[in-house]
Amino acid sequence: MADEAKKKEILEKLRNGVIQYDEDACKEGANEALEAGIDANEAIFEGLVSGMEEVGRLFEAQEYFVPEILMCADALYAGLGILKPHCKQMDLGVKGSVVIGTVEGDVHDIGKNLVKMMFDVAGFNVYDLGRDVPLDNFVEEQLKTDSDLVCLSAMMTTSMVGMPKVIEKIKKKNPNCMVMIGGAPTSKDLADKWGADGYAEDASNALKEAIKMVAFLKKLRDEQMAKQ
Amino acid sequence: MEGATLVGVGDVTEALSSEIVHLNRGVAIAINRSLNRQTIVLLSKLQGLTAVWLRSRGYLSLAIPPDSDRRKGKLITRLYKLFCHKTAATCSGLGWVGKNGLVINRQYGSKLSWATVLTNAPLDPDEPMMESECGNCDLCVTHCPSGAIRGHHWSMSEPRKRIVSYDKCLALKQKRQMLEGKPNCGFCVTVCPYSRKNGGTEKRSPESQG
Repeated sequence: MADEAKKKEILEKLRNGVIQYDEDACKEGANEALEAGIDANEAIFEGLVSGMEEVGRLFEAQEYFVPEILMCADALYAGLGILKPHCKQMDLGVKGSVVIGTVEGDVHDIGKNLVKMMFDVAGFNVYDLGRDVPLDNFVEEQLKTDSDLVCLSAMMTTSMVGMPKVIEKIKKKNPNCMVMIGGAPTSKDLADKWGADGYAEDASNALKEAIKMVAFLKKLRDEQMAKQ
Repeated sequence: MEGATLVGVGDVTEALSSEIVHLNRGVAIAINRSLNRQTIVLLSKLQGLTAVWLRSRGYLSLAIPPDSDRRKGKLITRLYKLFCHKTAATCSGLGWVGKNGLVINRQYGSKLSWATVLTNAPLDPDEPMMESECGNCDLCVTHCPSGAIRGHHWSMSEPRKRIVSYDKCLALKQKRQMLEGKPNCGFCVTVCPYSRKNGGTEKRSPESQG
């Protein structure tokens, strides 16, 4: 087991690598973590993700802007690529799969990509449909993959109007599937009105919401199984 | 390490989309391709150094790499197309957009490769280049094998004017790629009197003291 001082130093390197959007530092830190015998999950969450949390704070404080966020995410992915093969099964209490995409008419996918990253980090199976996705594709992909969750993103009020249609279709075909929406023009009120199960204000909230929802689904399934 | 052929700072406020509106200075870096160096490697290194230098002084920066060096699969790649090197080059006075659609510098013509570092550092901008200095010269228009060059006169006040029909240019290059295995054309560079002027021995122009 790695000694504590060394471990702290490596986790700090990963964290700072993300904050300073330094891909090389993240790769180095990831390799050092593996050499020193640090648990890969711990390196991801206490190092990389902890850095991304700080990045979120800097973004809110308007010290960082979109380019910095994207460069930080690239740095995180650089470290993640090295650590992920060494991860034990993520122990978040749940394991889920998710279909994600930006709805038809919308080519903005920066937010969607950040949410996808958080799901990747948490060990979810992510089926990314990309941007400007025809509404029916969400329904088909959900049926094909039997995903627990569908995440819809929109950045424009004009494309957002496609969301209630998708939600209705998905719920009709598969009432157990949960739907989460997000993006600048959306709100908790709209999510409720359209029958979405969750609304995420930002990427880290999306993950928290998703974990809650998938946990709820599993519980529901377990209860049904118990009855049978 | 060898340095850049030209460097300038431009006030690029007018050309920024909302994602990058805070980065209103463009540092334009150019290297003379005919010097037979590893142009792209050097450009990437130089812009990396610039970004690190700015960051160490507490400023934000976004390095837009040379057009031929855009790594795929990165999230940040998506933002590169929001900004065009020609904007930084013209705003920093290092050249104008010629009839051939390329940046032309008085001394080096179109033989330059460009990279840009956008930053929020309050650098003193150079004087922008407002008008084309192509004058009545139509050599590139008459020599272009694809007929893509229309002979339009560029001006800073009309940045979106379509100077070259890129469809025609691209179609020719694709045909050559198929027939000859190489897309190379470049007549519009070699035929330009500014490109042919010299190998870069004259003293640097005042605009280059960025």
